[in-house]
Amino acid sequence: MQEFFEQARRILAEQMEIEVERITMDTEFEEIDADSIDIVEMIMALEDIYEVEFPEEDTEDYPTMGSLVTALYEYLQKVKND
Amino acid sequence: MKIALDVMGGDYAPVELLAGAIKWLQENEGQIVLVGDQEIINEELQNHSYNPNRLEIVHASQVIGMDESPAAALRKKKDASIVVASRLVKDGMADAVVSCGSTGAQMAAAIFILGRMEGIERPPIVAAIPGRGGKPTLLIDVGANVDCRPIQLLQFALLGQAYARGVMNLDNPRVGLLNNGEEEGKGNNLSIQTYELLSGQSGLNFIGNVEGRDLFSSRCDVIVCDGFTGNILLKTLEGMVFFLAAGVKEELGAIPATFTRLDYTQIGGAPLLGVNGISVVCHGSSKREAVCNGLNIAADSINNNIVDKQLQELSRLTP
Repeated sequence: MQEFFEQARRILAEQMEIEVERITMDTEFEEIDADSIDIVEMIMALEDIYEVEFPEEDTEDYPTMGSLVTALYEYLQKVKND
Repeated sequence: MKIALDVMGGDYAPVELLAGAIKWLQENEGQIVLVGDQEIINEELQNHSYNPNRLEIVHASQVIGMDESPAAALRKKKDASIVVASRLVKDGMADAVVSCGSTGAQMAAAIFILGRMEGIERPPIVAAIPGRGGKPTLLIDVGANVDCRPIQLLQFALLGQAYARGVMNLDNPRVGLLNNGEEEGKGNNLSIQTYELLSGQSGLNFIGNVEGRDLFSSRCDVIVCDGFTGNILLKTLEGMVFFLAAGVKEELGAIPATFTRLDYTQIGGAPLLGVNGISVVCHGSSKREAVCNGLNIAADSINNNIVDKQLQELSRLTP
């Protein structure tokens, strides 16, 4: 999970041109001005890295980095176990 | 030339969009690909006569609504009309896409399907506002990005300059930043930070802050602002023109041509810049005349090679 989170925050920090350390599990996307396009871009980059297609859910359901990354990671584990 | 028209987006879809497409075909050379629900399109086409060799239908079973989150909807609705139409451009099956639907969805489709030019985070919409002596002023962004960061406004400035040089053939276009005063240090945080960035950008002919009235003063060729401000400015202008035209008609019995050049019911649309394909954004309230003019703007953009010209100009600025 930690490695997955590190990947995700590195991608988002690069996109938003901010320090990686500014993004924690508690960071709200709104706090760092990340909109739905930024979030979808991050998801698509993770899909490329992990060669998986995440479910197409509303990004609004996940207001924080932690809630989104946890949901994506759980899906990734489920796909691996299936 | 082949233009993909998303016939499912807009307040008057699909009836007025189809009528606009037929009108364009009657007045121009080229082909149109109608993208949307095949059954609805075929039924509506029975009301028109047209050359079937110039009109193609590509089925799309979904539509992205105005109330949907654009990026998320784009992932969910892979068979949405704007997605299918944009993919036709990406795959080389059409030269441009035109839509009157959700601007956010069209921008997201442009980003994720057509792809952005290097160094561009968000595509802005550029509108050419008619000016004195037939010289337009470019206003950029007129509504694609409501929240912007200073770096994005710098990118809009570079794209605006590239468009003005490449498409309007201006040697050294003057770029101004829309603000509530001309002096340096005026405005909100976004304006102040953007001013600093624009001032320090080599290769950009930045003339400083400009005010709303400068849209018509010929003081500069490109005016940069965030999409929230630009959209309000554009819609205010449209409303004012409508009001003045009605007054003039009442008093003089006719509307001068200057007013009709600014009539939003006639102006078709405006292209998104900074993406690797032509995507023309039209008013949601477009009727057949405006749809036809939107298709004209797409045709002009194709003829002017706006994508190649932006790329050439942007590469010139990269050290």
